[in-house]
Amino acid sequence: MSVTASTPETHWPKSRTVRIGLALSLVGLALGLTVLLQSVVSTAGYIFFYAAVLASAWFAGPWSGWVAVILSALAVQYFFIPPIHSFGVSREFLPVFIEFAASSAVVGWFSSWRKQAEAELRYARDELQIRVDERTAELRHTNEQLLGEMAERKRAEEAYYEAQAELARVTRMSAMGALAASISHEVNQPLAAVVTSADACMMWLSSEPPNLEEARAAVECIAQQGTRASDVIRHIRAMFTKRTPERTRVQINELIRDVTALIEAAALRNQVAVETELADGLPDTIGDRVQLQQVIVNLMLNGIEAMSNVTDRPRRLVIRSEMRNPDEVLVGVEDSGVGIAPEDEKRIFDAFFTTKDQGMGMGLSISQSVIEAHGGRLWATRNSDYGSTLQFALPTDRHSTP
Amino acid sequence: MKESDPIVFVVDDDAAVRDAVKRLIASVGLRVEAFGSTHEFLGGKRPDAPACLVLDVRLPDASGLELQRELSVAGIHIPIIFITGHADVPMTVQAMKAGAVEFLTKPFRGQELLDAIQEAIAKDRLAWNERAQMKELRARYDSLTAREKEVLQLVASGLLNKQIGAELGTSELTIKTHRGRVMQKMFAESLADLVRMFERLKPSVVIPKQSGPPSGS
Repeated sequence: MSVTASTPETHWPKSRTVRIGLALSLVGLALGLTVLLQSVVSTAGYIFFYAAVLASAWFAGPWSGWVAVILSALAVQYFFIPPIHSFGVSREFLPVFIEFAASSAVVGWFSSWRKQAEAELRYARDELQIRVDERTAELRHTNEQLLGEMAERKRAEEAYYEAQAELARVTRMSAMGALAASISHEVNQPLAAVVTSADACMMWLSSEPPNLEEARAAVECIAQQGTRASDVIRHIRAMFTKRTPERTRVQINELIRDVTALIEAAALRNQVAVETELADGLPDTIGDRVQLQQVIVNLMLNGIEAMSNVTDRPRRLVIRSEMRNPDEVLVGVEDSGVGIAPEDEKRIFDAFFTTKDQGMGMGLSISQSVIEAHGGRLWATRNSDYGSTLQFALPTDRHSTP
Repeated sequence: MKESDPIVFVVDDDAAVRDAVKRLIASVGLRVEAFGSTHEFLGGKRPDAPACLVLDVRLPDASGLELQRELSVAGIHIPIIFITGHADVPMTVQAMKAGAVEFLTKPFRGQELLDAIQEAIAKDRLAWNERAQMKELRARYDSLTAREKEVLQLVASGLLNKQIGAELGTSELTIKTHRGRVMQKMFAESLADLVRMFERLKPSVVIPKQSGPPSGS
């Protein structure tokens, strides 16, 4: 929309004939009116001629103003300045005529100058308006572009986070897969020996006569292999718990704030409003910062996921901390999700129990072991309206053994 | 136990599994020999009897599937029962295609293994009988003299004694004597029996060249 203002437009008629015609008819009108007035009042003056000059200059430009001045001067001189009805001027009336001619010229010039000035002013104003419109449009365009870019960046960021989460999940799953294969082999060997020995023992016992010596050897093998299997399990456990948990002073509110910042993106993506209700002046607890952080992340992500199908009510995740009693700090994560089915209530903390399509069923189980290792408890309650609350209680500083 | 009693070979690197399997097999009265690796198994002496092999897929030196291939290449046809910690589908398919009798995933029930072993031994017994008969036949054929082998071949091709005599440049009577000895040595009950034996032997023996009538007699 590029509108450029034209040159200052005064709206004076283009045709010279029209301009002269206008001056002529105005002066004629002035003459008629003056004559008419003079029949009533003896000295009428030349007010109508001034008006005609003014109007001509105003409506038809300076050129026609000058024509009107000359015509007026001629008319006045012919009709009103003695000797009347002649173009001669008597000596005593010369100053009057000159005064009239000069003043009408000034009136004409002033009128056309005013008109010109006004036109220029209008032009300047229009020009300014156009410029302002142009700049505004440009700004609006840039603004729209920026908004578009921002939305695009946000989408890209979300896609990136999703891809990252997917990658993490896949990595975790394939690592788990490799580990599971290795564990299953290690455990299957002794189990195979146990089952086969048990069957062999039965066979030897039911032979005629029963071969007690072979049966005994088989049972011996069963006992040995049972121990071997449990050794395998013990080694695996030892492998995973090799890292001795840190024992440091932990401010639980600080931890919650850190975690809330961490999962902000996930919450936003799932249109979940996260609210924190943290009690002031909570005493410190003693424990492993990273492990406790993982527990809170896990509980919050579980809550968010529990609300992924909720559409008929706000998706609200509340995390709160409070003093449960002088010895315990309580942390609760409340969601407005689908809640826990009554039949699942007893199993949610079991390893490998999951209600999610792609869950491993390890989250709550691990969280519970972590909290218990800190001398605390983790449990779930059903909310009075929707969803559930997962909460844990941790002993405060003076009851922990650093 | 006799030399020809069926025998089960077990190859598993896990001593406990190996011993348990051995004990189970022994409980049904079968002969059993166990090895910790394919190498040991190939190095050991195998008695001539119907047999089968219980083989772990995952072995330290060469995998069970490799051993299966090696045995097949070496012309040792012994039915194989695979046992494995965890079997994936391609592995199972490969083993079964190569002629495995059964593919058991650990831990398996004893009866499953014993049933598979019985099936494998029954299968191998037929093959073993066939092999034993052929061996016996070969031994009988090898006991014939060169002239007797010639006579046998010509008899089998349907010639009469007289024709054979002409062919070999000797009398009908001599041929008759040779023929009697061939029947005796081959334990043939009739001419038809003898022809049948020769047909079975034919692919595996070198037929002597026709010597023709001895020159100058």
